[in-house]
Amino acid sequence: MEFVGLEEDRLHFSWISSAEAVKFADVAKQVAEKVKVLGPNKKFVKRYPTKDTE
Amino acid sequence: MSEYEPKIVSFLCNWCSYGAADLAGVSRFQYPDNFRVIRIPCTGRMSPKFFLSALREGADAVWVSG
Amino acid sequence: MDAYTDKIKEISKKILSEGKVDVVIGFRKGTLGYMSEPYMAKSEKEAENLVFDCNCRMNLVNYVTNRKDKVGIVVKGCDSRNLVTHIIENKIKREQLYIIGVPCTGLADKKALLDLAEGEITSVEDDNETITIKGDGFEKKVAKSDVLQSNCKTCIKRNPVIFDELAGPEVAELEISDRFADVDEVEKMSADERWNFFGELLSECTRCYACRNACPLCYCPTCFVDESRPQWVGKSDNETDVLTYHFLRAFHDAGRCTDCGACEAACPMDIKMRYFTRKTIKDCVEKYGSEAGMELDKRPALDQYKINDPNEFIK
Repeated sequence: MEFVGLEEDRLHFSWISSAEAVKFADVAKQVAEKVKVLGPNKKFVKRYPTKDTE
Repeated sequence: MSEYEPKIVSFLCNWCSYGAADLAGVSRFQYPDNFRVIRIPCTGRMSPKFFLSALREGADAVWVSG
Repeated sequence: MDAYTDKIKEISKKILSEGKVDVVIGFRKGTLGYMSEPYMAKSEKEAENLVFDCNCRMNLVNYVTNRKDKVGIVVKGCDSRNLVTHIIENKIKREQLYIIGVPCTGLADKKALLDLAEGEITSVEDDNETITIKGDGFEKKVAKSDVLQSNCKTCIKRNPVIFDELAGPEVAELEISDRFADVDEVEKMSADERWNFFGELLSECTRCYACRNACPLCYCPTCFVDESRPQWVGKSDNETDVLTYHFLRAFHDAGRCTDCGACEAACPMDIKMRYFTRKTIKDCVEKYGSEAGMELDKRPALDQYKINDPNEFIK
């Protein structure tokens, strides 16, 4: 997906077993932080025509 | 509402990360509330269609966890 | 090329008359001088119409999917790799096929021919070295290497991988120094530049799905673009929908694409959608060392798991 120009941090993968609640909370924090830095997703959102744009 | 709060769609495997999320909740661990969780039967169920759909509908990021 | 045509006719007549096959899928002259069209010859008489030249851009493997009868098929190097993929994916059995392999010296780019012509093209002749374009009131000779299709310039397998009979002597394989130069160039750009680059690239797309129909890999009974519950892709020419379609198509073809160029040749808007599939080819070559359709007993790269598969992207 980076190839087409989406930011790398828009897509995260991780591997957490069901016993790793602490790791889950950690990774969740990291992901949220990284996306906050990126800011809102503007590229791939489908914009439906509204009254203003028509 | 001054600080930007992203919307992150997370696809969690029923047997791994969904369990972990459940355990984290039961154990009262604090973690950010930016996530909208979708439980999938297995990470093998994940398809590129899913994250493209999520982004199209306005998600800020996607997190896949198995 | 005439030698190929004669040999293909000869083989086709032989296998049709012996009853080895019910039909031979090949090419015949198209109504336009610079296009040859797919043709199914069912009798010796019909086999007389078969040709092979530098205008045979379509991939005939498209027509063998799920066939029940015995088929003879004319394949170029790249097509034969698709045939291997089809056999691996149980879309056709090897026993059903009589493969007429064509050692290929490349196809002529449709756009390049049209640009050279000074009017309507009535015929294009090819003797493996030079191409003669004839039309009303003009005749031009060009070196074949100047008008090759872009995928033929970076072709890694000109001779068929599997065949029952060859239509000519094997040709020398190309020596390519920088196979993925075009992909590398895009990779050097920044994320925003790339985003704009692909937005520009696809801005002309009319979503006619010619690329999907030309592709032998696209055989899903219901394509994701036609699914309506849930609807993954909108039906309009909305920019996001067009991008979604092309991304997902590339994902589906990842590890299976043989870069035959049928999609680009079929595109009425001349969109270079092979950027996407070529990126997937590059990744499969670099990360898994795997090339689609080279061996009958090797599953495609993304269809198997090895303990040492790269996984740095997972936390």
